[in-house]
Amino acid sequence: MKILVVDDEKNILKLYQAELEDEGYNVVTANSGKEALEVFRQENPDLVTLDIMMPDIDGIQVLRQLKQENPQLPVIMLTAYDYRDDFSVWVSDAYVVKSSDLANLKATIKQIIEKK
Amino acid sequence: MSEQDQSQSKNKGVNRKPSDSAYHRTTDAEQLRQLRVLNALTTSIISTTDFQDLLGKIAIESVKFFNACGSILRLLKDGRLRVEACSGLCEDVKPELEIGEGMCGRAALERRTIFFNRSESADFQCVMKSIEVGICTPLKIGDTLIGTFGLYDKMTVDGNIIPFGENDRITLEGFASVAAIVIEKSILYENALKQETEALKAKKESEELKDYLEGLIGNSLDAIITTDLNGIVTSWNYASEKMFGYSSEEAIGKFLPNMPHFLVDTEKSYMAQIKRGETIKDLETVRKTQDGRIIDVNINMAPIKNVAGIVIGISRISRDVTERKMIEKDLLRKNNELSRLLFISSTMRGTLELDRLLRMVLTAVTMGDGLGFNRAMLFLVNEEADTLEGAMGVGPANHDEAWEIWSRLSMENKDIHTIMQEIELGQLSKGSLIDKLCRGITVSLKTDTVLTSVVKDMRPFNVTDVRTGPLPDPVLIQQLGTIAYAVLPLISRDRVIGVLWVDNLYSRKPITDHDMNVLKGFTDQIASAIESVRLFEHVARAEQELKNIFESISDLMYINSSDYTIKKINRAVAEKIGKPQEEIVGKKCYEIFHGMDGPWELCPHHKTISTNKPFVGEVDDPNLGGTFLISSSPLFDKRGALTGTVHIARDVSEIKKLKEKIVSIERMAALGEMAAKVAHEIRNPLLSIGGFARRLERRLDTDLREHAKIIVDEVRRLEGILNNTLSFVKSTITERKEVTAADLINDITTLLEPAVNERGNVLKKEVDHTVQLMINYDRFKEAVLNIISNANNATENGTIAIRVYQESIFSVPDLLGQRAEEKEAVIEIQDTGYGIKEEDLDRIFDPFFTTRPTGTGLGLSITKRIIEEHGGRIDVESKVGDGTIFKIYLPLKGEPE
Repeated sequence: MKILVVDDEKNILKLYQAELEDEGYNVVTANSGKEALEVFRQENPDLVTLDIMMPDIDGIQVLRQLKQENPQLPVIMLTAYDYRDDFSVWVSDAYVVKSSDLANLKATIKQIIEKK
Repeated sequence: MSEQDQSQSKNKGVNRKPSDSAYHRTTDAEQLRQLRVLNALTTSIISTTDFQDLLGKIAIESVKFFNACGSILRLLKDGRLRVEACSGLCEDVKPELEIGEGMCGRAALERRTIFFNRSESADFQCVMKSIEVGICTPLKIGDTLIGTFGLYDKMTVDGNIIPFGENDRITLEGFASVAAIVIEKSILYENALKQETEALKAKKESEELKDYLEGLIGNSLDAIITTDLNGIVTSWNYASEKMFGYSSEEAIGKFLPNMPHFLVDTEKSYMAQIKRGETIKDLETVRKTQDGRIIDVNINMAPIKNVAGIVIGISRISRDVTERKMIEKDLLRKNNELSRLLFISSTMRGTLELDRLLRMVLTAVTMGDGLGFNRAMLFLVNEEADTLEGAMGVGPANHDEAWEIWSRLSMENKDIHTIMQEIELGQLSKGSLIDKLCRGITVSLKTDTVLTSVVKDMRPFNVTDVRTGPLPDPVLIQQLGTIAYAVLPLISRDRVIGVLWVDNLYSRKPITDHDMNVLKGFTDQIASAIESVRLFEHVARAEQELKNIFESISDLMYINSSDYTIKKINRAVAEKIGKPQEEIVGKKCYEIFHGMDGPWELCPHHKTISTNKPFVGEVDDPNLGGTFLISSSPLFDKRGALTGTVHIARDVSEIKKLKEKIVSIERMAALGEMAAKVAHEIRNPLLSIGGFARRLERRLDTDLREHAKIIVDEVRRLEGILNNTLSFVKSTITERKEVTAADLINDITTLLEPAVNERGNVLKKEVDHTVQLMINYDRFKEAVLNIISNANNATENGTIAIRVYQESIFSVPDLLGQRAEEKEAVIEIQDTGYGIKEEDLDRIFDPFFTTRPTGTGLGLSITKRIIEEHGGRIDVESKVGDGTIFKIYLPLKGEPE
């Protein structure tokens, strides 16, 4: 199970990678929207967690690209801010507010994988 | 003198005894002589053609032939015998005899020859006393007596007077018969001659008269016109040509061309009068000239009769009295100018309606006895639109109307009242054609026309001919058909407020310099009158408006006198006080408004009275129950003494509340935006800190694990705050749970203890342990923490007391007077710190309000918001230097809102 984690903050990437690898997932990371698309094409992940607020290409645009290339790909939107009013976000499979407690995220990933 | 006396005196010394033999001596010779006499007489009398000569010859020749001393020829005229000729004795002759008087009279009476002999007694006496004998025979033609012929004192050759004999009678009678015929013929001839002469003379005289009359007519300065009974011109003299402009060729054969058509009917009635043989003298009227002018004339009209005395025509002698009338009018004008202007201006001053004033002005300008112009209009300047606008016009629409109006409207022998009535009811009133025309005219003052230049240059214009004058004015020429006019500015206080326009379209009378002078004097008068009327209207309107405003304004407005008596109030005051106006006006203001016995120190009126200055400010009036924004302005009398004040008070209680709310909302919005940004920036580092701390916590042992846990917990709390702050603007989803107040306070104090100690403060807790709170723990903790933290920051080496207790409050009584009991939890935080300034006290809950240099100003506003979210409220009491008490009230029963 390969998970692509996308966030513009390297520390967060490091944390997520460590935590998710502890859970037994294969984790690849991308530090920007642009990199996310490149890594996605190279690594062909089974699931993507996507930060919305990024300086180059924001998460919502990345989400659109990903879904165009692979509509079946599950994507979890991670955000520091409440974007639930944005229709685009509805395309994603889940929406998780960023928190130092990753329990919520882990549970969501598990749910999605089990659904598949 | 008796017949006897006369006979004696005349016969003195004369022997005239007639001899009898003479009567009887009738011989052939005598007969021949008689024939000869007759022949000679006849020859001699027919030798003359002159009648008088003839009669004289008869008298003279017959004396010779009859050897008589004298003869008398009488002719019958008017029944009397008049001497026509005599010979001898003439001095004694009685010029006229009655028929039957004397010898001749007797001959005439008896129609036979009569003898007279004084010596013989007779039944009649000869009238002439000097004669002795005589013979007289009647002169007859047929049976018609035409006169008598007598001979006197027949004389013999030797000088004796003898009586006339039978032969003489025969001769005389024969002669008389011839003479009678000759005389008769002569008379006839003479009469014929006389008639012929007289006819010639008459003819000559009539020709002379005709020449004279023609000369007279031709050279007359008066226009003499004859017409038939239908007014068709039959003669038209030189003066008529001069006066009316039509040549005689143009006039003759046509109906009077000089008759204005509006007078045709009148003329027909005059002609009917003339037809009846009447004459019309000194008719003052008007006539038209070929070039359309109307001139004043004096006319005499008389019938023209034929020989039979039948009226066959009409003569009209007209005299142009325009000049005379002008002189008359001029005289009148000069005499009346002063009085008229006085009259007009005095009337005008009494008029305060603009429309009425304008009408008066224009009437005075057009009235025949006034300034006498045909038409007049007033334009007023509209300063806002920068235009000149027609305000009113008067004047007849056509010649007919002109005549009618001019003949009716006159100032003569009328009082002001009557004239004003005429003006108001008359044809010059509103809505006439020219009035409508005038009102339709608007001229921009930016254009260059006569009208506008009068306004701009402030001087009058007399346009004598629109075709040649400068600045043609198409509006006036086209709409009014004017050909010459004058325009004068109406100047009031060095400003042109309008213009007066006049013309003489119908009379074509030129507008003279004199006219302009009079008009100028007049316009000065009317300008100021118009200005005052306008001012008055303005003031009246303003007054009404003010009154309306005063009444309808929803603010409380009232006027007080300086002795605190209410003089005037508007409806809003009456409504606010809840009493009718009459129960308020006249009372003392402090009684009515403040329910006091004397002036209120804070009362704005009181302040204005004592300082003479206006006062504006907010006043909380517990009596009226609310906050009022009051302006109080002093009223001064003419000498500058304060007489009272005008108050305007607005109940701003509601506004104040609303304003506060608005400000608060605005700050919230700003806060929300900022909070979102801050939250985002903080969340990411927190995530890293918290996330790694959790990893550490999982991997470390005992002590270090505990420390890592603290990091994890604090980060969790911070993230909780962030989540709640983010929801500050968005809908808050509060999850509440029951918490013991003591636990909450302990949690907080544990957190704050180091900071409290650091500032040398003592923390005192008096907590009712039974108090259970239904709260969103994190948020509410944040709120209380914030207050305690503030208290600590405001206090140095003091005390911070935290009290928690319950209170019962009672609701407003219901209809049955029952008060529902409700319990509240109260959390009280009291410090002994610096305190809060009075003016800051109301603002401390405003977002971004802070007195600390490092503060964000968000603390207390968030605190208040959180408490309100829980259905509670927060109060503050503070005194600078003594410290501050915050009280948080939370309902203990019932579901939170």
